[in-house]
Amino acid sequence: MMNSDFDRRDFLKVLGWGGASVALAGCGNGMVENGKETVVSYVETNDYMIPSISVYFNSTCAQCDAGCSITGRIREGRVLKLEGNPESAINRGKTCGLGQAGVQNHYNPDRVRSPLLRTGDSGEAITWEKAYALIGEKMHGVSGDEVAFLTGGMSGHLKVLLGNYLDSIGCKNHVVYEAIAPAVVRAANKKSYGVEMPRININRAKVVLSFGADFLGAWVSPVHFSQQYAQFRKGVDGQRGVLVQIESKMTITGANADRWLVVRPGTEGILAFGIINALGTQGLKLSADIAAAVKAYDKERVSKDTGVSAEQIDKIAALLKARTPSLVLAGGAAEGYAHGSQNAAAINLLNHVLGNVGKTIEAAAVVPFPQMEPATGNTAALKKLNDDLAAGKYKVLFSYAANPVFTAPGAMKFKENMAKAGFKVVFAQYLDETALQADLVLPLNSPLEDWGTQVPEYMAEGAQINILQPLMEKLHPETSGMGDILLALIKQRRAEDYKKFDDYYSYLRTALLQNKVALGGAGNADDDVFWNETLSRGIIKLPGATHAALSGKSAVAGLSLPAPASIDAQYPLQLIPSVNASLRDGRNTNQPWLQESPDPMTTIVWDSWMEIHPSKAAELGISEGDIVEVAGKNGSVKVQAYLFSGIHPDAISIPLGRGHEALGRYAKGYGVNPFQILDVVFDKETGELALHETRVKISKTGERVIVVKDEGPVGGRQMGQKIAPKLPSDKVNLSGEI
Amino acid sequence: MSISTLFENYSEYRHIHPVDDVPHNPYKWAMAIDLDACSGCNACSVACYAENNLPVVGREKFAHGQAMHWMRIERYWDEDGREFPDQGARFLPMMCQQCEAAPCETVCPVGATNHTPDGINSQIYNRCIGSRYCSANCPYKVRYFNWWDYPTTDNVWPAEMNQQLNPDVTVRGKGVMEKCTFCIQRVTVAKNDAKTQGRLVRDGEVQTACQQACPTSAITFGNLVDPNSTVHRKWQAQQVELDKDEQTKDMAEGGSELRGYRIYEQLRPFPSVMYMERVRESAI
Amino acid sequence: MKDIREDIAWAQINKDVLKSLENPRKLYWVILFIAIAMVGVAVGCEVYQYNVGLGVGNFDNPHVWGLYIATFIFWIGMSHSGTLLSAILHLMHADWRKPIYRFAEAMTTFSLMTAGLFVAVHLGRVWQIYFALPYPNMRQVWPNFQSPLLWDAMAIFTYLSSSILFLYVGMIPDLAICRDNMHPGWRKKLYTAIALGWEGTDRQWRNFRITYLTIACFLIPLAVSVHSIVASDFAMSQQPGWHITSFPPYFVAGALYSGCAAIITLFIILRYVFKFEEYMTMSILKKIVRLTFAISMVWTYLNLVEYATVWYGHDEAAKHLLIQKATGTYAPFWWTMNFCGSVVPFIMFFKRFQTHIPVMFSVSLLLNLGMWLERWMIVSPTFADGYYPWTWDHDQWPSFVQWGIVFGSFGWFTMLFMIFCKIFPSVSMYEVKEMVYHRSQATKKLQATGKLAATGKGAH
Ligand SMILES: Nc1nc2c(c(=O)[nH]1)N[C@H]1C(S)=C(S)[C@@H](COP(=O)(O)OP(=O)(O)OC[C@H]3O[C@@H](n4cnc5c(=O)[nH]c(N)nc54)[C@H](O)[C@@H]3O)O[C@H]1N2
Ligand SMILES: Nc1nc2c(c(=O)[nH]1)N[C@H]1C(S)=C(S)[C@@H](COP(=O)(O)OP(=O)(O)OC[C@H]3O[C@@H](n4cnc5c(=O)[nH]c(N)nc54)[C@H](O)[C@@H]3O)O[C@H]1N2
Ligand code: SF4
Ligand code: SF4
Ligand code: SF4
Ligand code: SF4
Ligand code: SF4
Repeated sequence: MMNSDFDRRDFLKVLGWGGASVALAGCGNGMVENGKETVVSYVETNDYMIPSISVYFNSTCAQCDAGCSITGRIREGRVLKLEGNPESAINRGKTCGLGQAGVQNHYNPDRVRSPLLRTGDSGEAITWEKAYALIGEKMHGVSGDEVAFLTGGMSGHLKVLLGNYLDSIGCKNHVVYEAIAPAVVRAANKKSYGVEMPRININRAKVVLSFGADFLGAWVSPVHFSQQYAQFRKGVDGQRGVLVQIESKMTITGANADRWLVVRPGTEGILAFGIINALGTQGLKLSADIAAAVKAYDKERVSKDTGVSAEQIDKIAALLKARTPSLVLAGGAAEGYAHGSQNAAAINLLNHVLGNVGKTIEAAAVVPFPQMEPATGNTAALKKLNDDLAAGKYKVLFSYAANPVFTAPGAMKFKENMAKAGFKVVFAQYLDETALQADLVLPLNSPLEDWGTQVPEYMAEGAQINILQPLMEKLHPETSGMGDILLALIKQRRAEDYKKFDDYYSYLRTALLQNKVALGGAGNADDDVFWNETLSRGIIKLPGATHAALSGKSAVAGLSLPAPASIDAQYPLQLIPSVNASLRDGRNTNQPWLQESPDPMTTIVWDSWMEIHPSKAAELGISEGDIVEVAGKNGSVKVQAYLFSGIHPDAISIPLGRGHEALGRYAKGYGVNPFQILDVVFDKETGELALHETRVKISKTGERVIVVKDEGPVGGRQMGQKIAPKLPSDKVNLSGEI
Repeated sequence: MSISTLFENYSEYRHIHPVDDVPHNPYKWAMAIDLDACSGCNACSVACYAENNLPVVGREKFAHGQAMHWMRIERYWDEDGREFPDQGARFLPMMCQQCEAAPCETVCPVGATNHTPDGINSQIYNRCIGSRYCSANCPYKVRYFNWWDYPTTDNVWPAEMNQQLNPDVTVRGKGVMEKCTFCIQRVTVAKNDAKTQGRLVRDGEVQTACQQACPTSAITFGNLVDPNSTVHRKWQAQQVELDKDEQTKDMAEGGSELRGYRIYEQLRPFPSVMYMERVRESAI
Repeated sequence: MKDIREDIAWAQINKDVLKSLENPRKLYWVILFIAIAMVGVAVGCEVYQYNVGLGVGNFDNPHVWGLYIATFIFWIGMSHSGTLLSAILHLMHADWRKPIYRFAEAMTTFSLMTAGLFVAVHLGRVWQIYFALPYPNMRQVWPNFQSPLLWDAMAIFTYLSSSILFLYVGMIPDLAICRDNMHPGWRKKLYTAIALGWEGTDRQWRNFRITYLTIACFLIPLAVSVHSIVASDFAMSQQPGWHITSFPPYFVAGALYSGCAAIITLFIILRYVFKFEEYMTMSILKKIVRLTFAISMVWTYLNLVEYATVWYGHDEAAKHLLIQKATGTYAPFWWTMNFCGSVVPFIMFFKRFQTHIPVMFSVSLLLNLGMWLERWMIVSPTFADGYYPWTWDHDQWPSFVQWGIVFGSFGWFTMLFMIFCKIFPSVSMYEVKEMVYHRSQATKKLQATGKLAATGKGAH
């Protein structure tokens, strides 16, 4: 299969196994799974393609980075529906609404269908030959330092190949930028537990205390956590799990809490200290340094700072003390401040104090191939790129799976700075805001017609590598997979090393077969058999994957929490840009199912809104449907008001993801983009953009609209009828339930 | 052919459910939805769009109340006038309750909405003349009318997007009524498979699209006649009976420890969907 | 009080009535033209709606019904006028009905035809309307006989055919007069054909009387049943505001009410347009007005009964709906309906207004405005505030398409009616002759017995 004139070391590197901590040969077992005859590999289409009979192919959901495995239903060569693959420990056969809409990403009418060259203001369709030639020409004589490659989070062989390409051009500027990733929490976790993404076990906790972690909505791996949550509600040892959510704006997780507590924006860390203090008061033994650190945080002071009553603090502490193990989570709402790292650290400390580390927080399995591990990123990286672009440092800029023109705060002037790069190549499925600024747009396959491997950032149970395989023929002949493009680009530099690979598919196949045993295949198994089984499963569960140990450190040194910010007279309100589980950072907004899927809290569709507490609204004379101008230091947006009591009166909230000026017919012109008016404040420790640090003022414009939403004029009232009643837990006996 | 069939066969053609003389045998499809698990995430609703060729109507039509979501997630708040909703919201997935004595069925002039022998309120699109009487009489207002010809409306199923349409499900044109069917196309496939293999449908063999997607597994679907089915056991554990209009829970003095209830029992539609009440911790 | 002259010659009656077939006032043509234009509007709206879908009417879920069904009930109600005047009063030997029953019967027929159109206009797939008919078919698929809508369809069909028969049979002697007095031409041919060889023999008269009486007897329960069945469309459902026991009589009363009011309107118009002052006398107007007033009080009573039972009942949903009607989005219409239906009729209580043409004309229009609103207030608020609060929707407003079709239906009715009056005698000649004859006989008798002083007018 492989010619032996090829150096083994290089070969490993080419295929992404370099530095692998697992021996490339060894024992393993077949794990041939019987049963699902219809789960087959697409490679053998002919045998299975019977008109009117569906066949099922496994792949991986690419709608977000959680890495749920999916099974596509294919009939007459068309993918019709995506279901969760029950074999995956991450999603166990389930999907979220966003995942369901993957088919609408695939069949989207607004996809780019051929390479586009920008000439002036208009685009011109060109051939791939011409496009590659152009890149070759533009890269000629350009040093690696003058090239930047911007991507979203990426993992697997695509990341390997990209790394190899960057090596080949001597470029070290791989900028990974995720607009709304939990970057601060990752860093805080690294400090508190020794790993960025420990495995959390909501299902084993009797109490979950979440500081704005929207684990049922958009946080990290929502489908996985939703399943854990359902088990948690059924109870651990017959005791139904209790969820307490603390945040300034109610998320869908908050809406499911037994007790939702509104907290003054930014004081989450103070409250965490207050709870530790109260735990100490109630007799929990605290180590001396912790006791000293929280000493000043008595409940009266904390109550004053956070707005959470002293009585509640006591109750929470009592609950946490009485019911163990518990689980404390720091989420997006806690980390979005200049002192976000401090908040997260203080919250994580609670887990140490309560002894949860090692019980509900565990070491996650890791994929033993470092090159394939997910590259995560944050705004800090983007900021540097932006500064360099501003300085005119780059002659060539590549961009893949990121849309900074839309998601970077307007004040960063990314669009203007991007224009300073000599030649801008954007790999895109859509002409999004960033693609519109490109000189060359290269059209990508949809994830449902592409090959790939993915390593999820959050590993549930054992380590796994997810397989992406085409669920059907390409819809448009002129699109290409990112892997194929990278391969073509790399061949421009190292044709000899990669000449064996006609395409990314053969690369991937070679790579996986090469490491068959480590990937769970029997050493003597036929390559084709192994390959087909792998594709059939859509997942490679790694035998004997190692777990990164938790360090169990509970350091309080250097942890200092600032006093609550005083009210800014000019900009009295805190802007909370909220993350909607369907629309996230806006890359999926052109999928109409998602536009028409009501926001769970407000039930609004197809538009943006501003949530404001009724008391504040009354003070300002605002009623539902008033168009208000939300103005901060860096610009303003006009948006309809929605009165919502699940928000702190000193805060307003606008969801992210809408307000596109491009992307497609279902996205363009719907709503506003709060990214554009964010203040450019960074977390002091990590340099991550502090998403919640924007201060604004609001004023009525006098215009009014009827808010387009699913709830009727009586809103969420049942009008005295028994439609969705509620029971207190002491009035119900769950033990007899099925 | 003759008018006599009208009189002779009519009682078979339409009969009231639940009845003793025509028991559900061997299937009665039913659901149980656990509201303590449901997070209100809308995945079920989107899955229903995907499975059942529901049109996305767009902002203007949604604003006019012409949305076509067979499954809608309702969000209720506590109504005691608190400053903050500190016990969260209550989410309710609401779709056709597949009433046994369906108020929609009796009024349809052409019998386009009908009861199947296995207890599903079926909708025959071809037969429907669009009188909308069924919707007028549905207490839950879960029937959705095709006010427009969505297949020919711009941007509902533009080129390529139409390739996603499920060939097992009709694409409805203007002027017909539609609603949740309990994913009848899936049920039919399962029944046919079972029939060719000379057995009954096994529990879990057929999942509705909403159930399959639901990340919290809040939705259980199955055959109520089968004593071993999960849905049967759930109904039994909650002491909810199909053909009663008052359940143990309603009758118990000061409430019972049960969570199962059906919406609008008092109207006697005998819904096939049992909900299980949301629970809130009393200690916090 | 001016009444029909007893000394009027039979030939004069023929001449006066036949004149209406020849040369009405110019206003006739104005009205006809406007009516046709209105029909044009409705046809345009319907074509648009047919092609694009009912969405153009601005319906929604849950507001699945709108003005069409409301206006359908209105026209069905209107149709009760003919049956009331012709059949009921015929059986009661109220001879004052004679000059006006013909046009009332025509009203019945044409309002039913108008109502029938609304059934079609309302359907999402009107092209499949035959599914609702019980036609024999291979697959043994029948309509659903449980559905009140089907009862509706059958009741209306029966009522319409009976009404046409009634109108036609009652017209035969007059058609013979037309035949005998017409100049040769298509009309003469038409009258010759449809007069069925009427010669006025004793045998013909005897058979005619029996037939007419039989149909009249048949028609009365039919009329009552038709509107009771329309009421069942609502009463048989479970919805708040509809599930009301008193609906059938309430609907019948409302039907008679709006029918009477419409008779007043048309009485005044015909009287002027066709110069029927001689026959459509003030004395008759006064009697209809009094009858209308009586019916308005029955309607008011039934309304109050409904409000009271809802208010004191334990049906929370129905009570909520009633409060919504009085205070919510529909409140202006609901109050206008109550005002027009229960307060305005008191004008008719005053003698001097009973024969005051402009006042009665306005009052009759107001009454029917009230009655139309009543139907709307039965249909729509229940959708806005049904059982399920999540779907309550108070902001639905019919689009121009709905309004256009409702508007055009008045044109359609008027057009049919005006054409009818121009082709057929809208005053019954033979019955007016009978009436004059009987009256003069009675007068003579009184004079002979000395109970009445000779006025010098009676003899001829
Ligand atoms: N599920 C199901 N299967 C059935 C049946 C059923 O009722 N249900 N019925 C069975 C019966 S009775 C029959 S007859 C068969 C019919 O089976 P087929 O013959 O396969 O029927 P069609 O799909 O009508 O036509 C076949 C193709 O002919 C193409 N075509 C149309 N006109 C022309 C032409 O002029 N020239 C050429 N070259 N092609 C043309 C059409 O576009 C279509 O793609 O199906 C049988 N199979
Ligand atoms: N629009 C359109 N029209 C078509 C065609 C098309 O492609 N498009 N195809 C045409 C062709 S090729 C054909 S063959 C015809 C088919 O037309 P039909 O012969 O009308 O076809 P079916 O509806 O399949 O079957 C007729 C009836 O037979 C009944 N049946 C089934 N088994 C039995 C049995 O054992 N005994 C008895 N007595 N009855 C039984 C079924 O229940 C059904 O009611 O349609 C033709 N019409
Ligand atoms: S969480 Fe949803 S969108 Fe993300 S991978 Fe899983 S199914 Fe896909
Ligand atoms: S819920 Fe409504 S649509 Fe469904 S069966 Fe019952 S009455 Fe009919
Ligand atoms: S809309 Fe269709 S299903 Fe509903 S009552 Fe009318 S004909 Fe029957
Ligand atoms: S059962 Fe099927 S049709 Fe009904 S709501 Fe669920 S997915 Fe939709
Ligand atoms: S998918 Fe499940 S959890 Fe989500 S809204 Fe539907 S029923 Fe609730």
